[in-house]
Amino acid sequence: MIAPFTDSSVVVAAIVGIGFGFALERAGLGNAPKLAGQFTLTDFTVFKVMFTAIVIAMLGAFWASRLGLLDLARVYVPETFLAPQLVGGAVFGVGFALAGLCPGTSCVSAATGRGDGLAVVLGFLAGVGGTASMLPLLQSFYLSTPRGTLLLPDVLGVPYGVVVLAVVAIAGAGFAIAERIEMHAARRKA
Amino acid sequence: MSSRAIVAGVVALLAAGAAFVGSPEPHAGSRANIRALADEIEHESDHVTALELAEWIRQRRPGLRVVDVRPDSEYAAYHIPTAERIPLATLATTSFDPRSTVVLYSEGGAHAAQGWVLLRTAGVRNVFFLRGGILDWMDDVMNPAASSDLTRYFGGTARTNAVPLPGGATQVVARMRRRSC
Repeated sequence: MIAPFTDSSVVVAAIVGIGFGFALERAGLGNAPKLAGQFTLTDFTVFKVMFTAIVIAMLGAFWASRLGLLDLARVYVPETFLAPQLVGGAVFGVGFALAGLCPGTSCVSAATGRGDGLAVVLGFLAGVGGTASMLPLLQSFYLSTPRGTLLLPDVLGVPYGVVVLAVVAIAGAGFAIAERIEMHAARRKA
Repeated sequence: MSSRAIVAGVVALLAAGAAFVGSPEPHAGSRANIRALADEIEHESDHVTALELAEWIRQRRPGLRVVDVRPDSEYAAYHIPTAERIPLATLATTSFDPRSTVVLYSEGGAHAAQGWVLLRTAGVRNVFFLRGGILDWMDDVMNPAASSDLTRYFGGTARTNAVPLPGGATQVVARMRRRSC
């Protein structure tokens, strides 16, 4: 189930997309060497930007729903297919580490005129096209090990609010550890 | 105070508040919620009929969870296809995906209706109970006076000895006999 592309949803998507791209570029994530620093554990910007986004979106969704502004039942959560998503995640990770860019950041990188960004955009579009053309061959694997819609509160059997607090606590601890490692890395460099 | 500390404080406050209120459902457990529930009962949007449920099961309605709240032995003897058994005692602490549609049933319907109140008060949306319980399921889906494609789909047969009374009186009489939960 994917929301139908009504006129207003395209406009909203464009606004959200421009905002997302702006935030990525402001965080320096259009720059491949900076992203590669995440994989060599010298620069934790990716980790910090992503966890900030997760925490803000999670708190926003929780409280917007609680205050009656957002109907969570209408928020689409993709279904889990264990094996194909594990393989997909590994392929994605290898590509990310090799290119230093993920699909979102490659668009930002290309939009700011960087050649490597444009190359990654062309590469991932070719990958998407290639996979789509092979879909009949891959279909049985694509739909294997289905687990339905998994949500942490259901899997763990604890209330939503407790999961929210736990994720924020993990993010906070992660930030503290990340900054400590970054400080060490900077000192080694100096 | 640095802006960093302020942001961290606000985030911590919102997160602790989330853990405190527990559910993201608006008005869960509050007075406003009880008024809203009373409205749902008044407007009869709290239940489904056996035929509606049968249609949902046949259509494989996405996210449908059929829940049997009867004792284990009765569940083992017969249950509505696709149903899972969750006793009333653990129903309120069971977590349901907000996207799921939960249909509760008991023998006659009273226990399921009470389960409906428990779940709605706990903030679960899209909950219904089967009106007339499994008895209605038997009468209207499995052994109706006249067989339908739903009856055949669930492997039931039409009652051979049913004397159709005018104006659906057979069903009215059958329902009047019920005193069970």
